Amino acid sequence: MVEILLLVHLVLAILVLSIRSLFTAVILMAIFSLFSAVLFFVLHAPDVALTEAAVGAGVSTFLYIWIVKHTQKEPE
Amino acid sequence: MKKTNILDVVSRKLSPFILLFGIYLVTFGHISPGGGFQGGVALASGLLLILLAQGPAVLVQYFPLGRIAKAEVAGYGLFLLAGLAGFLLGAGFLSPLFPPPGTIFILNIVIGAKVGAGITLICWYLFHEMEEQE
Repeated sequence: MVEILLLVHLVLAILVLSIRSLFTAVILMAIFSLFSAVLFFVLHAPDVALTEAAVGAGVSTFLYIWIVKHTQKEPE
Repeated sequence: MKKTNILDVVSRKLSPFILLFGIYLVTFGHISPGGGFQGGVALASGLLLILLAQGPAVLVQYFPLGRIAKAEVAGYGLFLLAGLAGFLLGAGFLSPLFPPPGTIFILNIVIGAKVGAGITLICWYLFHEMEEQE
């Protein structure tokens, strides 16, 4: 179980780094945090899993989407 | 960017449940996994969902900014008070004054208010700054 989750983490990390669209990368990072939360839960740390799900998938995604939206050039 | 009906309806239906889950995490923090910080962040993410999907006017209508700021200040003050009360009564800083769930329960609620209001205010002022520049 842990090995499968770590493999998913690896694939998602490579995708985040190699994808062209910044919005897609941010959403993939949120999915990455969600899988980290599942990994922490499997490793018997539900408190850390809750924090990771709330901060990683919620608040930091908000900040990243906001920043990407305001720094990207509008397509003409 | 145009807002679709799906986003509007889903965010309107989902945010009360996120807020309720945050309150559950704060109030049951001493029994089940969770606690002040986790519940506070869940509360803040419920408010941020309203802010991002419904716009700042709707957030201000239900949760006025002055009250969020007051909740943050009250959280900080009450935490300090709860810590210093044990200090003044002869025990150590943050020593338990009430029978077992009491002190942890109070501290969880205070930390939940502080963290939730604080993160909401951080994101709110970032939002506001960006809106003003346009």
